[in-house]
Amino acid sequence: MSILNFVFAFCMLLLVFIFQTTLTGLNRKVTARLQKRYGARWYQQFLDIFKAMRKDSTSHGWVFDFGVMMALGGIMATVTFIPVAGFRAFPGTDNVFVISYLLAVGMLGMAMSAAGSGNPWASIGVGRALTNMLAYDIPLMIVIFTVIFAFDTASVGEIAELQQGMGILGWNALRMPLGGIVAVIALLGMLGKKPFDSFIAPAEIASGPMVEYGGKHLGFMFILHEFMTFIEVSLILNIFFGGGATIWEYLLKYAVLYTFMNIISGVMPRFKIDQAVKYFYRVPLALAVIQGIIVIFTGLGVTIWF
Amino acid sequence: MNLSIILIVLIVTSLAAYVLTKVNKKAGALVTVVGSIFALVAVFLLRDFIGNEVSLLYFNFRLTTAGWYFSMVMLSAYSMTSFFNIYWMKKLIYPAAYNFLYILSMAATLGIFFAKDFITLFVFWETVVWSSAFIILMGKSRKAAYIYYVISAIGSMAALFAIMFAYGTTGTFVISDAFKGLSGYPGRALAIFITFIAAGLAKIGIFPFHVWLPSAHGNAPHTFSPVLSGGLVKMGAFIAFLSVTAFPAYEIFSDSVAFRGVPMPVYIMMVLGAISIVAGTLMAIKQEDAKKLLAYSSVANGGYILIGILMLDQVGFAGGMMHLINHAVASAAAFLAIAAVAYRTGSTKMSEMGGMIHRMPVTYLVYLIAIISMAGIPPMGGFVSKWLIFQGLADRGMIFVAATAFFGSIGSFLYVFRPLSAVFLGQTFTRDLNKKEAGILMLLPMIVLTLMSLLTGVFPNIFLRVIAEIQTSVGLLPVTLSENTIVTNNGFLDAFRVFIVFGFGFAIAFVLFVIRRKSRKVDLMDTYTSAEFIHTRELLHYSHSFYAPFERLYENAPDTMKFYHKAAVKISELGNLAESFLYGIKPAGTVLLVMGTVLAVIIAGGVL
Repeated sequence: MSILNFVFAFCMLLLVFIFQTTLTGLNRKVTARLQKRYGARWYQQFLDIFKAMRKDSTSHGWVFDFGVMMALGGIMATVTFIPVAGFRAFPGTDNVFVISYLLAVGMLGMAMSAAGSGNPWASIGVGRALTNMLAYDIPLMIVIFTVIFAFDTASVGEIAELQQGMGILGWNALRMPLGGIVAVIALLGMLGKKPFDSFIAPAEIASGPMVEYGGKHLGFMFILHEFMTFIEVSLILNIFFGGGATIWEYLLKYAVLYTFMNIISGVMPRFKIDQAVKYFYRVPLALAVIQGIIVIFTGLGVTIWF
Repeated sequence: MNLSIILIVLIVTSLAAYVLTKVNKKAGALVTVVGSIFALVAVFLLRDFIGNEVSLLYFNFRLTTAGWYFSMVMLSAYSMTSFFNIYWMKKLIYPAAYNFLYILSMAATLGIFFAKDFITLFVFWETVVWSSAFIILMGKSRKAAYIYYVISAIGSMAALFAIMFAYGTTGTFVISDAFKGLSGYPGRALAIFITFIAAGLAKIGIFPFHVWLPSAHGNAPHTFSPVLSGGLVKMGAFIAFLSVTAFPAYEIFSDSVAFRGVPMPVYIMMVLGAISIVAGTLMAIKQEDAKKLLAYSSVANGGYILIGILMLDQVGFAGGMMHLINHAVASAAAFLAIAAVAYRTGSTKMSEMGGMIHRMPVTYLVYLIAIISMAGIPPMGGFVSKWLIFQGLADRGMIFVAATAFFGSIGSFLYVFRPLSAVFLGQTFTRDLNKKEAGILMLLPMIVLTLMSLLTGVFPNIFLRVIAEIQTSVGLLPVTLSENTIVTNNGFLDAFRVFIVFGFGFAIAFVLFVIRRKSRKVDLMDTYTSAEFIHTRELLHYSHSFYAPFERLYENAPDTMKFYHKAAVKISELGNLAESFLYGIKPAGTVLLVMGTVLAVIIAGGVL
């Protein structure tokens, strides 16, 4: 680990931010067109973030500030662990458990900061966000566990590379179709897209965990959200859709997957939080366990295509 | 340093503590601090004498690496908690007895971990059980002590049966010989395995024995809950450890049906561990009392430890053994933080306080680090051990156990966040606005434990080297370690690197935060309230039934305690029935009946 790794990591953060924010802007347009609106300009997301960063803000005590920094810090560290088309800023750190649990540091920071604001609406939102996480993560982790068992490696980058070279048939989403379905549904939950967006719940609980944020705190949260989206989509892309052999392939696949999520979200109503839990523990959990049993006890899915 | 000298010194210290407390309470409490620190240092120095055998009266000890490791975990919990005794002397009814039993139970745990034969193991085991039962009795509830004692007694009696049966079969009380001699008797071995490990399950609080943890941890004196959760439940883990190492379970049951390479009897125990993870997590989520919540989290973490140890392989076993120290440190720190809050506010109910972070910031940080470790989030120790357990499970493809392990892991985010949010964050209650930070002697042990959590998370190899030694000593392949890296079949983990990168991310965020315009500080009451006018701090604090929508989903789940209560009623009815026969108003008829029956049996026996 040399100073060069940190330079790479910093550049990666910048590029990821620019790429994902642009994509979010474009997707605002897509959603608008779905709803027969004109939509904001593609760079509106940048303007929103820079505007928030420039404004005055209020703070509710040191944990409110500290939580924001811990959240963004944890999430940015996680971004640098994500392998992108064979590139890793810090080689050897792309273990799937490390990524998914380091992500939790950021989430804990966010939850801490929100609850530290002293606003009960924020606490309600955090409670829902954690419940949502408990719902989508179990089926997803079971499927990822199955993939690790099948490939004998927990490295996200290696799992992605092992799927390449066979075209679309090499993708885990097709080798293990039930697992692929679970992964896509869980990704909707991870991203907080409809129907699983009750913890943000626009226009219902006064914007949930974000209620007290303004100015630079809100700007931090916007940036954090872009990074978090990148981590979540990349995780699913690498593990189930073969990542990308080249950087362009990766970004293209990424854009398609993310836009697909957005389109689904654009036409969905919203689950209540307990309905979301019930749904995840009924359909995706069953699919995940069936997929796991098939792979672990029959070997089908590891060797099916060749 | 000799183990028998340490034991003698500690027993003398316990008596001295009793006498001294009668004279001066604080001096007596100070003796417990000195005594436990002495034990910690003395046992640490025993590291150079591994392999020695010593005897004291009828008791025989053998110094092993495993025993040394378990003792260090136990003594860390005891010695750090002892600092709190000084503050609690005036709140206890029997301070002298408390100090006496505190040191005595600690000395007895050493006897368990270094025992060479069953008699030593059992005598010291019972000493710990009754001495700790008396301490629990000094807490809020007598019933908690009864439950603790009954469940412990079930475990002890089962273990006694196993010991006697093993002796009857092999003719020796020496632990390793007695168990190794069982390989020719698979049927007896199964009975011995189940009854022996039952003592361990009862002590760790594995389903269906988990009921004692919430009642005992929740109601014990605040200074003893950290010891119970951080230390004493690890005695059960030691029994589980003996049940697969000294008792060669994988070899003896190698003919039985196996699931993913695990023999069925061992697998069933793992499933019990898995059930404990789920039950502990679900129950912890809905607790309203911070100590009970942490007690249920101990149930869940006990499940991880049991599963890890029972895997008996290169990776998962190391994870289970490492989780032992991680959970001991984190759980003790969390209980101590709650105790410090209770010392200032007088309550452990989460709905009765809030915003303590503004009054007790250091205590808050201690609790925060503890729960990060407990929830298995990097860069703290809990992550490393859970990572190892996950890797071990993935290696074997144990999907059902893994599913519960994931559930417990994510579920722990939910429950550890509750005290954080309800006790420390949110609005400070008007009553608590003038409260102060905990005293310096309370902060000291809490900070030491916090640094321990960080140390286990950033440099786990220090601890894993000891565990690798234990693995070698019981004939396992040791976990592969290089400079900073842990290597497994499925990948490797460099905890130090993860920590550095996290620091890097945090540094960027910090710089970005500081270079932007300084924010204006506003009062906590100055929040968005949807145009309501709320001036009462208590009303603007959301803490009661935090996960209500989720809790509703399993509110009708079966309750183990209810089952035990009903069983108790039935047993007492049966007793009443017998009593009504024997001690009725006119017992003459009963006596006649009994005598007649006895006579009939004798005559029938003579005739036949």
